[in-house]
Amino acid sequence: METQNHGVTNKYWMSLEQWRNDPEFARLVENEFRSSPLQSEDGKDGWARREFLKLMGASLALTTFGCVRRPAQKIIPYAKKPVEVTHGIPNFYASAYSEGYESIGILVTTRDGRPIKIEGNPDHPGNQGGTSARAIAHILKLYDPDRFTNAKRNLQNATRTNRETVNVSWENVDKAVVEQLKKGKVAMLMGTQISPSTQALIEDFAGATNATLYNYDDLSHSSFLEAQKVCYGQKALPRYRIDRAKYIVAINNDFLGTWLTPTHFNRQFAEGRRAMPEMNKLVVFESLMSLTGTNADRRFRIRPSQSLDVVMALLHEIIVVKKVSRYASDGAVLRMLSAFARNGGDLGVDVTGVADELIKNRGQSLVLAGGLPAETENAMSLYIATNFLNAVLDNEGKTVEPAAVEAWGTQRGISELVTALKNKEIKTLIIHGCNPLYSLPRSAGLEENLKDVEMIIYTGDRNDETGRLCDYIACDHHPLENWGDSRSLDGVVSVQQPTIEPLHNTRAMQDSLLSWMKGLGKGSARARGSETWYDYLRSNWSDNLARNTGGKSFDDYWVNLLQVGVRETPERSGGGRGFVTSALARVKPSQAQSGFELVLYETVGLGDGSLANVPWLQEFPDPVTKIVWDNYACFSLRDAKQFKIREGQNVTLMVGDHTVTVPAHIQPGQADGVIGLAVGYGRKGAGKVAEGVGVNAYGLAAWKDSRLISSGLETKLTVEKTFVELACTQGHHTMEGRQIVIEETLADHIKKPGGAIHHHPDLTMWKEIEYKGNKWGMVVDLNSCTGCGACVIACQSENNIPVVGKKYVLRGREMHWLRIDRYYTGTPEDPDTVHQPVPCMHCDNAPCETVCPVIATVHSDEGTNDMIYNRCVGTRYCSNNCPYKVRRFNWFDYTEIQKPRHLALNPDVTVRHRGVMEKCTFCIHRIRFHKTQAKLEDRELRADEFTTACAQACPSKAIIFGDLNNSESKVSGEFKKPHAYALLGELNTKPAVHYQVKVRNTEELKGESKHHEKGHHS
Amino acid sequence: MIRRNPLILGNKTYETITNDIASVVERFPKPAFFVGLSATLFLLFIFIFAKGMIVTYGMGMMGTSHPVNWGTDIITFVFWIGIGHAGTLISAILFLFRQKWRTSIARSAEAMTVFAVMTAGLFPILHTGRPWLAYWLLPYPNQRGPLWVNFRSPLIWDVFAVSTYATVSIVFWYIGMVPDLATIRDRAKSPWRKRIYGALSLGWRGTARNWNHYEMVYMLLAGLSTPLVLSVHSIVSFDFAVASLPGWHTTIFPPYFVAGAIFSGFAMVVTLMTIFRELVPVFKDYITLDHMEAMNKIIMATGLMVGYAYGSEFFIAWYSGVEYEKYVFLNRAFGPFAWSYWIMVTCNVIIPQVFWFKAARRSIPIMFIVSIFVNIGMWFERFVIVVTSLHRDFLPSNWGTWIPTVWDFGALFGSFGLFLTLFLLYSRVLPAISIAEVKPVLNVGREGDGNGHH
Amino acid sequence: MDIIEKGIQLLRSRGRKGIAGIWLDEHKLVEAARKTRQAGYTKFEAISPFPLHGIDEAMGIPFSFIPWITFIFGLAGFSFGVWFTWWTSAVDWPVIIGGKPMWSIPAFVPVMFELTILFGALSSVGALIFVCGLPKVDPPVIDPDLSSHKFALFVPEDDKGFNAANIEQLFREMGAVEVKRTEF
Repeated sequence: METQNHGVTNKYWMSLEQWRNDPEFARLVENEFRSSPLQSEDGKDGWARREFLKLMGASLALTTFGCVRRPAQKIIPYAKKPVEVTHGIPNFYASAYSEGYESIGILVTTRDGRPIKIEGNPDHPGNQGGTSARAIAHILKLYDPDRFTNAKRNLQNATRTNRETVNVSWENVDKAVVEQLKKGKVAMLMGTQISPSTQALIEDFAGATNATLYNYDDLSHSSFLEAQKVCYGQKALPRYRIDRAKYIVAINNDFLGTWLTPTHFNRQFAEGRRAMPEMNKLVVFESLMSLTGTNADRRFRIRPSQSLDVVMALLHEIIVVKKVSRYASDGAVLRMLSAFARNGGDLGVDVTGVADELIKNRGQSLVLAGGLPAETENAMSLYIATNFLNAVLDNEGKTVEPAAVEAWGTQRGISELVTALKNKEIKTLIIHGCNPLYSLPRSAGLEENLKDVEMIIYTGDRNDETGRLCDYIACDHHPLENWGDSRSLDGVVSVQQPTIEPLHNTRAMQDSLLSWMKGLGKGSARARGSETWYDYLRSNWSDNLARNTGGKSFDDYWVNLLQVGVRETPERSGGGRGFVTSALARVKPSQAQSGFELVLYETVGLGDGSLANVPWLQEFPDPVTKIVWDNYACFSLRDAKQFKIREGQNVTLMVGDHTVTVPAHIQPGQADGVIGLAVGYGRKGAGKVAEGVGVNAYGLAAWKDSRLISSGLETKLTVEKTFVELACTQGHHTMEGRQIVIEETLADHIKKPGGAIHHHPDLTMWKEIEYKGNKWGMVVDLNSCTGCGACVIACQSENNIPVVGKKYVLRGREMHWLRIDRYYTGTPEDPDTVHQPVPCMHCDNAPCETVCPVIATVHSDEGTNDMIYNRCVGTRYCSNNCPYKVRRFNWFDYTEIQKPRHLALNPDVTVRHRGVMEKCTFCIHRIRFHKTQAKLEDRELRADEFTTACAQACPSKAIIFGDLNNSESKVSGEFKKPHAYALLGELNTKPAVHYQVKVRNTEELKGESKHHEKGHHS
Repeated sequence: MIRRNPLILGNKTYETITNDIASVVERFPKPAFFVGLSATLFLLFIFIFAKGMIVTYGMGMMGTSHPVNWGTDIITFVFWIGIGHAGTLISAILFLFRQKWRTSIARSAEAMTVFAVMTAGLFPILHTGRPWLAYWLLPYPNQRGPLWVNFRSPLIWDVFAVSTYATVSIVFWYIGMVPDLATIRDRAKSPWRKRIYGALSLGWRGTARNWNHYEMVYMLLAGLSTPLVLSVHSIVSFDFAVASLPGWHTTIFPPYFVAGAIFSGFAMVVTLMTIFRELVPVFKDYITLDHMEAMNKIIMATGLMVGYAYGSEFFIAWYSGVEYEKYVFLNRAFGPFAWSYWIMVTCNVIIPQVFWFKAARRSIPIMFIVSIFVNIGMWFERFVIVVTSLHRDFLPSNWGTWIPTVWDFGALFGSFGLFLTLFLLYSRVLPAISIAEVKPVLNVGREGDGNGHH
Repeated sequence: MDIIEKGIQLLRSRGRKGIAGIWLDEHKLVEAARKTRQAGYTKFEAISPFPLHGIDEAMGIPFSFIPWITFIFGLAGFSFGVWFTWWTSAVDWPVIIGGKPMWSIPAFVPVMFELTILFGALSSVGALIFVCGLPKVDPPVIDPDLSSHKFALFVPEDDKGFNAANIEQLFREMGAVEVKRTEF
């Protein structure tokens, strides 16, 4: 039957209606079917060569005059890169990646009209070229095979159980929706928008349909915002200046990993680390081991219920005991604090030292709290107290700057929505930018009340937890296919431009809203005036967002704006804010808990789980646990011993009447009496990759007074007999006293940088080979590296590195060319942590080269250790002889990539055949590309003209790559610094990668850096 | 000279010797033979199937992984190469030392060498990721621009050593057989048998002048094989010793490997001969308990050498003060793979000690069991060297483990199928004892020994 | 076609007429050989199933020259090894490998050694086959048991001073169990 010839699989069509030739359905069949522009008539995988060639052909046009949707909408390549119109030369488009409140300026590398790589935009003042693992990886969501390729209609039963999913044309979607909207009683459930223009459009739409706006985020900051409102009368997220803070206290707050804008924070934090000799100091009070915790100079383990007590103890110590700050004489304040005096006592940790240092660093200190682990029942008190502490320390206006604009948080929340639903006040519900039925605990009562809604429209791109219950899936574009803009917390507004013609027959959510408004004939002048979302965006900019156009016409301004990607002038409002002391009245003591406290947390890899179907992120080693393809209940060593829990043993957690069963993981440095469990897993209907990975931790969260309680949940624990193997990419977690990561205290470092390095005499029987011309090298500054893992994903994306799946990670066959080793030092109960990125060392005396029988790996005359895949027969001897074990072997044929993911492959990098060895190449293709450029332009290669994918992605600029023979290059200087050392230097492999020692801002180190016997060299 | 037992029992004459040995080739095999053959063929099929699957779907099917990039294949390769050494030792080195007792076991020992080397040779090829390109390891002129092999790589040394060893062993074995083939040719009744063995015997006539050159060449080959056989296992040991890996990076490896090879090789000879004597009872007159005892003595001696090597490795690891070395050896004895280490020590060092007792040395069942244990122990020795060194090296973050799959077992046990099938067939179509070499020593140790003292 | 013919011709043995005596005791044969030589015969042959002790000086067979072949070819193999490793790694295709010099001799020794052995061994076997005039498709057989338990002396007619009667008598005296005119 002819529909079968189309790209869509039959299961959508083999339905009762069709069988009965239901007339209404027959109509659907006739005129509603659409296949993706990329889908073939023949290829069963849905991608015919012919179609792909079509795309390639189109790409010529795209590369010649930018990436084009309609001729009218010209977008401009990033001006600072050489833009050839030649086929096969990459173009870079400045755009933006938004997630929650984080806005990252990105450059999208497109080849032949398809985006293949996402990098940070150096011109963005926020991330300054850095990116995050998720920002890089979200390109794979564009090529997600499980995305809807067309608007869908779920034929729901009366009980809102999906009977059938059918394709539907946009015309019919619009027709149906407009009809429905006319009935009124419209509600919109919106995830937080940081795009000013989208906000405007949504508000327009709400006005036009007098819809009620409800706001919901899978990772909500609502109580944090609430606290801001209480303390400063302004419901806005302040701008934290970590780069200015010399003394940072984080209380159950993972600002380096997941909180608010980690990418920006990483950059700022690293700047503070490098600011010798006044290096910043990070003190962390936390329940779990977070990425921030691993970077702490001093770390205290507390129960989540103690978070508030810590702050109060500090306040008490500073104000009451030390009588510091203007509040010392404020009777009300003193009275309030006296209630908390004792909590300091039974806290179990002595905060006086911290208090003293905070006092010493007044005005340049910073206290942070927030994020899922802080969201206890009493979170409001914690946030208010924290704000107060910052006020006490005179950080207002210095390290805490007031926000530029009110956060788009002026709407009601879920509870109101539920009540409205109960009262049948809602006929139509539009859901966008959130996945409430995944991230809301059942107790919130949303699901059962949705039954009576006449029509639910969802802008998601698949039938996930929320999609299943909706009637129409008006699938939104992927951000890389769509226009937009975004405002970061520090008021930087950047534009998001599409970098590819929409792959499928999807439509921007904004275009949907516009067309529905048109259908209703309502809406603001701008809405009615603009034919498409692009027009709306553009006019919104020309009217509201354009700043100092400098007399230029808006068109010129726009062109220039798109080239740079960000608007020069950020929205800032200087000065401090007055803390409203009356807010303190709302600080309630949190009752201490005795049993297990469950703490939900967000992982650096998966976040809220919206990218759960991206294989890179599922196989992204967690920065702390190094475990992939699972979430797990984290236990402290003491608890594990006490309850006889072994690694991977199943445990059943019971909160209220909700239970989940997960494997246990024993986490050094975790507080006793605490269980950690990551959200973002256990997705349903998210796609083949995400299906069945982990459990949904949100199910255990509590829902109290319209807030999601994700921490300090009283939990009953049952230890099961069964086991699950957890796939951990790291075999062993201590350095066994070997000189691998070298640490120094700040004092020692200032006295003698690199004093802790034990140098070995290098003897050689050969005359060293000398390298004239370029000699590529790298320096990894372990002091700046926070272990966030952006480099790992950047490398994976740049070099077409395959994903092997849990089964083979268990066998140690993950393929990452760049891995980050994480070691614990000190006692396992309360260790210090170090991170060490390990790429190929490109040793001058490479052991791998000597043993390769067929010369498949050799040294180039530019000092790189090259791998010749074609020549490799796969004896794997090189890997055995590599002291750093950075080589990866293609145990099976990994080149079979599910389409259309193959479109994300980087054509500059060979896809490796089964049975050959592979490894980090120092991005040799980039070296060659830029050398060719230089040659074409008949010039010498400039110092630091380009860098590797990992160095480019690093948000904290810990990786420096360049030409060691070029005295102007940054790396040539850093490479020779006294505190730079070669890993396993005693083997005399002469690595081209040097590490710079990790400096800890403490008196003495936990790690026993045992020096080896003098003078031996193995 | 010292009084000694006759090398050959049962008052043979030249004629009976010829009959005894040649008739084995001439008569139709007993059913027992076909039972054995079908068993070995079944193993061989397993081998072909396992290796076929692995080549089709990828090395990933085996237990090898990161960081343990070498596994069953390389272990078994070293194992079989080691087995081979006893043959050359008996036929070449004992010949140079004028050990007359070698004559009756030399032929089969050499056959064992040839088949063991053939079996071993398959593994380095099949363990690569792309076996169909293994010929790239040969330095042949080609049109890919100047493109040669890396003569610095021990694997290339292996290619030269193993192929040379295989060639010379086969030639040595064949040249030694030529006169016997002539014998069988002359006894042949059927014209086909005459043609075949006639061709195989190259038309050997046995004139004094030919014998003169023949003996000279035989001695030359023995003289060349002796350093060769020592070099081969030294070079195999270089595969490990040349690497920088703690536990491999050891100067003691060449002698240690050679001793181990002879140890395992003689064990295999004993295993085969004990069976052989039962299958062909008349051979008991030629392969006497004295022969077996002599071999058991060598087994015990080399076993002690191997034991010494185990000990000195630990001493050097401690003495060198290299923390990585120290760790590796502690990890061997007490780490996750300690069981393999203790299997090795038990089988190779402790069990052979029973040979201090003459009764044990001369008891067929005991020596059979011991030889089996030694073979197991020597396989585990290579396992210990390869796996326990690899699984925990310099950077603890890389530490991993090694989990065998069904395919590992298929490759290991299947390889015995190949070896035994070849050996069984050999025992039926070729003279299993050197007729021409046994006759001159017929009278050794007999009363009124005429020409005992050469 | 005639190529094959030629080939087969090469493999045919040119039998010579003469007298053969057959012994059952190798010691007697050695004695007989000595006598035969004293009788002035030089081209005669002794045939035995295994190398006979003392037959060489009895028949005046000189020391084999094959060791020289072995030595020369062994040397050739070694030099080839030296040249080949040097030429491929240092001249024809010099690449930086493990920071070692192009011509890293110690690493090349094993290859040189193996080539020495290989050339030496194969050349000596080649020499043996050549001097023994092997292979032959139709070696003449005086008595099939000569490869089992009998021993024979054969004096060709073209030997100088060939006298059938004397030889037969000599053989009988020396204890030959059988004397016959034959071809060998």
